[in-house]
Amino acid sequence: MINETWCDHNNIQELKSLCSPDLEFLTIKCRPHYLPRELSSIIITAAYIPPQADISTALNKLYLTLCKLETTYPEAAFIVAGDFNKANLKTRLPKFYQHIDCATRAGKSLDHCYSNFRDKYNSRPPFGKADHDSILLLPAYRQRLKQEAPALKNSHNNLLTDPPWTSQRRHFSALIPKKEDGKKRVWEQSQLLDVLEARIQQLQSDIVLDVQHAKVQFVNASKSGRGASSGKSHKNVSGGRTELPKVGQTISNGGGKDASAYKSRKLIKAKGKGKASKEPAPEFSEARDQELAELERKTEAKAQELLMQDNSEARMYEGVQLSVHCYLEACVFCGDIDRAQRLLLTHHRMISRRNLLNIGLYNVMMRVWAKKGSLNQIGRMFILVEEAGLKPNLTSYCAALECMGRTPNCSPKVINRVLRQMKEDGLCVEELFRLCVFRQDERDMVLRAIHTVEPDFQPSINTVLHTCSSPLVKDFYTERADAKYPKLAFSLEELRERFSRQLSMEQASTITIHSVEAMKPVTPHMAKMRALLAEQRMVWHKALVGALRESNMILASITPKAVRLSLYPYLCLMDQKDYVDIMIQSLSNLPPSGESLHILAKELGNRVHNKFCIRMKSHNQMVDKLSHIYNEYAELLAKDSKDFDVLPRERWWKLEAEHNSGPSLLGDNTQWPHTVVVELGTYLVDLMVKHMKVNSDILNPANDRKFIPVLYHMYTFRSNKQVGFIKPHPILTQMQQDAMETTLTFDSYVMPMLCPPVPWTSAKFGAYLLTPTKMMRTVVGANQHEILLEKCQDADLHAVLDSLNQLGNAAWRINQPLLDIIISIFNDKGNEKLDIPPPNSEAPKILRYSQQDLATYSSAEKAHLKRELVKAKKKCSEMHSLRMDALYKLSIANHIRDEVFWFPHNMDFRGRTYPCPPYFNHLGSDVTRAVLVFAEGKPLGPGGLKWLKIHLVNLTGLKKRSSLAGRLEYANTIMDDILDSADNPLNGKKWWQNADEPWQALACCMEIANAVRSPDPTHFISHFPVHQDGSCNGLQHYAALGRDVIGATSVNLIPCEVPQDVYSGVAQQVEEFRARDSEKGLKIAQVLEGFISRKVVKQTVMTVVYGVTRYGGRLQIEKRLKEVDDFPKEYVWDASHYLVQQVFSSLKEMFTGTREIQDWLTESARLIAKSGNTVEWVTPLGLPIIQPYHRTRTQMLKGTIQDLSLQITHDSKQKPDTVKQKNAFPPNFIHSLDSTHMMLTALYCYSAGLTFVSVHDCFWTHALTVDTMNKVCREQFVALHSQPILQELSNFLLQKYCSGLS
Amino acid sequence: EVGKMKGECFRPLGRYDFLDLGEVEENTQRAQLCRTIKRFIIDPALAKLVTHHLGPDLEESKAVIFECNPGPGVLTRTLLNSGAQRVVTLEGEKSFLPDLQALECLLDGQLEVVHCDFFKLDPMGRGSMRPPAMYTDKLFTDLGISEANWTDEVPVKVVGILPQRIERSQLWKLLYVLFDRLSIYRYGRVELNMFISEKEYLKLMAKPGDMLNYRAFGALWQMACHIELLHKEPWASFVTSSKYKLAIPKSRLPNDNLCLVRMTPRKDLFSASLTPSNAATLVMMVKQCLAKRKARLVDRLNMWSPDSGPKLLKEMGMQEDVLTGHVYPEEYKQLFELVDKSQEFTQSWLYEEVLENTQKEGWI
Repeated sequence: MINETWCDHNNIQELKSLCSPDLEFLTIKCRPHYLPRELSSIIITAAYIPPQADISTALNKLYLTLCKLETTYPEAAFIVAGDFNKANLKTRLPKFYQHIDCATRAGKSLDHCYSNFRDKYNSRPPFGKADHDSILLLPAYRQRLKQEAPALKNSHNNLLTDPPWTSQRRHFSALIPKKEDGKKRVWEQSQLLDVLEARIQQLQSDIVLDVQHAKVQFVNASKSGRGASSGKSHKNVSGGRTELPKVGQTISNGGGKDASAYKSRKLIKAKGKGKASKEPAPEFSEARDQELAELERKTEAKAQELLMQDNSEARMYEGVQLSVHCYLEACVFCGDIDRAQRLLLTHHRMISRRNLLNIGLYNVMMRVWAKKGSLNQIGRMFILVEEAGLKPNLTSYCAALECMGRTPNCSPKVINRVLRQMKEDGLCVEELFRLCVFRQDERDMVLRAIHTVEPDFQPSINTVLHTCSSPLVKDFYTERADAKYPKLAFSLEELRERFSRQLSMEQASTITIHSVEAMKPVTPHMAKMRALLAEQRMVWHKALVGALRESNMILASITPKAVRLSLYPYLCLMDQKDYVDIMIQSLSNLPPSGESLHILAKELGNRVHNKFCIRMKSHNQMVDKLSHIYNEYAELLAKDSKDFDVLPRERWWKLEAEHNSGPSLLGDNTQWPHTVVVELGTYLVDLMVKHMKVNSDILNPANDRKFIPVLYHMYTFRSNKQVGFIKPHPILTQMQQDAMETTLTFDSYVMPMLCPPVPWTSAKFGAYLLTPTKMMRTVVGANQHEILLEKCQDADLHAVLDSLNQLGNAAWRINQPLLDIIISIFNDKGNEKLDIPPPNSEAPKILRYSQQDLATYSSAEKAHLKRELVKAKKKCSEMHSLRMDALYKLSIANHIRDEVFWFPHNMDFRGRTYPCPPYFNHLGSDVTRAVLVFAEGKPLGPGGLKWLKIHLVNLTGLKKRSSLAGRLEYANTIMDDILDSADNPLNGKKWWQNADEPWQALACCMEIANAVRSPDPTHFISHFPVHQDGSCNGLQHYAALGRDVIGATSVNLIPCEVPQDVYSGVAQQVEEFRARDSEKGLKIAQVLEGFISRKVVKQTVMTVVYGVTRYGGRLQIEKRLKEVDDFPKEYVWDASHYLVQQVFSSLKEMFTGTREIQDWLTESARLIAKSGNTVEWVTPLGLPIIQPYHRTRTQMLKGTIQDLSLQITHDSKQKPDTVKQKNAFPPNFIHSLDSTHMMLTALYCYSAGLTFVSVHDCFWTHALTVDTMNKVCREQFVALHSQPILQELSNFLLQKYCSGLS
Repeated sequence: EVGKMKGECFRPLGRYDFLDLGEVEENTQRAQLCRTIKRFIIDPALAKLVTHHLGPDLEESKAVIFECNPGPGVLTRTLLNSGAQRVVTLEGEKSFLPDLQALECLLDGQLEVVHCDFFKLDPMGRGSMRPPAMYTDKLFTDLGISEANWTDEVPVKVVGILPQRIERSQLWKLLYVLFDRLSIYRYGRVELNMFISEKEYLKLMAKPGDMLNYRAFGALWQMACHIELLHKEPWASFVTSSKYKLAIPKSRLPNDNLCLVRMTPRKDLFSASLTPSNAATLVMMVKQCLAKRKARLVDRLNMWSPDSGPKLLKEMGMQEDVLTGHVYPEEYKQLFELVDKSQEFTQSWLYEEVLENTQKEGWI
């Protein structure tokens, strides 16, 4: 009984049928002519559960069938109808909604109609005269019909005025048709009918009373002249999860005039094209049709405009747009233009998908056609853009003009028309040159086109620089007369030479260096293993290249499903060889205990992306331009060129503006979506697992020869989660360990830069020459920070950019004598006390016990053994990772031991700065800090030696409570130890080894020794960085914000004779509380007598400002108490519990304002999060900050090897995570203040000509300039806190979150 | 004389001398006062039903009955009324203790009250070991229950309601200690009679072929225990202490029931080739195999030891292309016994994998 006009009988398929005493049903699948896009098909089940049936069995059967179908056809609409008697399908399928809410037979509703759409139908009171009443189901939202009598006839009259497809999906009747005149039947599915007829027979036998059924009158639908369906029981299969309201709306003549009605008209039009002949002429008048279309267009245009207005916030479909964009770019890059065009067109043709597209995607294709000089195609693209209701933007016109520039003898008329249209759209040519990103010779082509009509046109160079508006840096930017910006100790020539070396390193994208273990002698066994490994690598390389080629061929031949984005273009960006290099590289970094698939895949994917970005830049021909600008920029820094009174950023900006021809330096390649990265990585891992094999007898000929895989995919179980893991076969691990390969391959950005970094000129451009770098580090995939930065006024970020540039411009050198000592220990047996991780040979042996042995042990002993074993394994893998980390750091240091190098900087979302190279940098451990010195040397001057000595005492961790003079005096008394340490570091008295930071202390000893032995210490040239460490910065900021005098004194904000120590203060206060409780007879307080020290409370006090909770605090204290040997272990838990409470209350007592501020911040954040917003604020330097914490969303990634589920916590479409937003706000806010203070200090130190680096709250400079730096640091702290920081925060929050309220 | 003196401090329980269960309303109120979220059996009919299932011959049975978190003690009294010889109530909540202890005093050793939470026995963490947390050996030693052979009769029957929040992890924990014969299973084949959610029950009993639900969890339980569904009870019949309803998350299956499930460890679980010392390997093997139910078993086996898969399958009389999700728990056990004998496997490096993964789950 399916109407032919609704669904062709070829599109109907029987899925399943069943006849049993408990249940009869038939399920069919229809694919009607017209169906909302989001639905793949409609699955209709007619069911009958006899009154005497076992309801449970029947429902279970039905349930199982439907579940199976649901999984097979996830996109289908489901309708289940029939006589259920007393059964209720909802008990099994709560997701299905029952639509019939009125009695269908004798006051009971026996006939049900379920579908998987809620509230989309209203049932009408019954009509007809069958024993089971007929029910007409109507879409719920129709207003008009309510006014009309629910008479069938009316309803059918309405049909006439409607396009057929809308009407058919409106109605649904649960009526089971009775026997009727066969001739009039129009339905196709005889089988369905058979079932239904059988059901009728049953009804007849069941119900003796019924006499009326034979007289049932059918309103014959064919009367309507369209052969339309069958009276009351046309199967209405309307539906659409979202589309539905729009669909059913155009019901009665006149339709609705609201927007959704137009939308549905649009749908008709879009789908109706080409099938016009099939579409019976509706009674819409032509004129009316046009009018509607016109209206529709207008409303849509308006909606689009709204959408365009706030571009940054209208990123609703960002996920899809981003993946399509990257896909298109990848296709274009590997020259597969057909594929790109095809994809865009398929998206364009599907309305549901078209709505997701933005102008940027069309622009990608326009640029391609522009390169080809195909004006035709450009024209077509413009038509498509218009069809999609989008507005061409600058880039679109840019592509059009470029194309005209490339076309020889392009008619000026055409060009003029484009320019005119641009003007109409409110875009101007000047903007085009200012804002568009050009690749290759695009700019020249555009200019050529413009010159044909306007020969004198020259894009103006905008040289007006805005300055940062923050009052904190006003002086810095305006009063430059006194500023003496530091120069580097290099000639222009040297800098240019360094640049070219850095450039070639980055172009290679990886670098292979010798590891420090290379210094060990090579044994014959090692040599053999190395040869073996090298040979194997060749084999694997070959196998992988072949496999990749083959799998690419397969991928290429598969015609992808319309909108599914395959990985294919991402696998064609480079030669197969390049991909395989990446895979082999990751093999050598794989730890013996394996790596989780997710991490491995991410690494591989990111490497491919990195390599692609670098290729892209060369491809866009920007390398030449970059060299050109950099070579001129170097003048600013070189010692042998004139002085400049501009900052690096300003200089670069100016140079870029002057050299405006050619490609833009700003790369516009987008970060791939995380899912693509991981999917690509998983794909490569899969290839590795499948195709890398080795003979099992390679190491031990006694083994049987089998060709076994080198990598395995398996699972480990962490609590109740299973994590996919990739593990190397022990054969591989052993080969790697025995070979002790002496080369390490890194990505080029792992190395420090060989030339000063490119200054940050915007949030998108800076740091490395080619390697893409973000100014703000974020969780992968989080883009809210980027959006926020984009929104900012350019000038507002200047101070932040300049301070990053300043930190990046500090040149470094290796402290060679120290590096040699460290490497000698490293290559020997390591030294855990000195933080040099020992080699694997020193690891604890993992005991193997046989079952016989085990049988003799008691269960307690067995448990103990097991624990020991687990511990040993854990220790081994920890040692391995520590060892590798140290190996990387030392090897990098050793590789650049004769170089001068730079660390480009970026920052996290709170503004804390970090050097970009991940392993070796000055933020690292004591060891790495010790081997770094400033490249530039400065004489010690009158006070320098004093500062070196004080610095040394600071590094020992002694004399914390002495004044500076006291520390200096102490240093003078131990000069013998200092000199001994410097002369005989490993064989002498080893005084330095007991310092808190032994390696830095040793380096300092050596520097002091050299200085005092020089003829005149004041002229001794020192490269040594002297640190000034903040004392509890978090509390300082709180104390200053709260104008808290006692607190401020205890954190040294108020001058005192001797340095105050807040930790001791808190310890003292806690001790007082303890004594009091002890007297009261509290047991634990008595036990703790004599155990409360500075050390026990220090970590907790320090972290309290950063939001440590009681729980975390207790763990910290527990750890400390365990370290105290004679503290009774059985009391540890209680004691830690007690102490953490006391620490919290002591702090409350000492810092009264702190608590209040913290509470205010927390409460504000809580309310903001509760209102559905994320907390945002702006630092006093103008850096916008947003907390990216949202509720977790899980995303499933299908993979051949395993499905991965990614936990995404930063999706801005999710609600904010209130707990995290609230708990993190106070510490994040304080961090942002702290970073602001550091940036201010950096800027003013720069204008004073100082070398300045920071490790968060620890500032470094030459010994000579320590006093100046300290002065700047203090001044800037005062300046910062002279601002009404809290007031401004409050204003900002009020304006941002409460402006809509009264 | 002696009888008289005793009579003053306790009342020997006669065959027809029943303890009063108390008013339902009062009991409900008391249960609701409990500070932690728990369910209680208050309904006398339900208590009777549970008692019935623990029977039938409670008076003759030598097994000690451990009742977890009895609360107001309705089930405790019902058990005693039907003649249970020895009942030990493990109550974690202090507030319920006095009442239970008073009852203990009334009786002649039929009831022992211990301040202990069965679900906090042998904790992993290193917090203070104070009641209600406890080591099993202390509990059993105090009660005078000694270690027994595996094949002996069931020494202890545990009855209780698994706390819903930690249902799965508790069952895993019990599974681990069962295979290792540690914790309570050191004292023999302890029988569990637990109320668990229906959802968990279905997972527990999932059969091979049910690719969604048949997982290592169910397979291992089925392998280790004879599992019997005794009764289904809507969770509304229990009294919940929280003001928030302990709703069971909705899923597509009907699951608003708690299922009383009996899990009796199989006598023949351990054999010459499967011992508590290598059972961890078996657990690991099953977990690895069933991590992906649609993988071919032969591939998994080949991974552990190349080329051995087809041979083993042949020995087992299984099809080459059998999927891991189609293999019965018993078959896994047989497979393991074969594997354990095979020389190739003991050389396999993956064999050692087991130990590495016990970090979080190695309960003692």
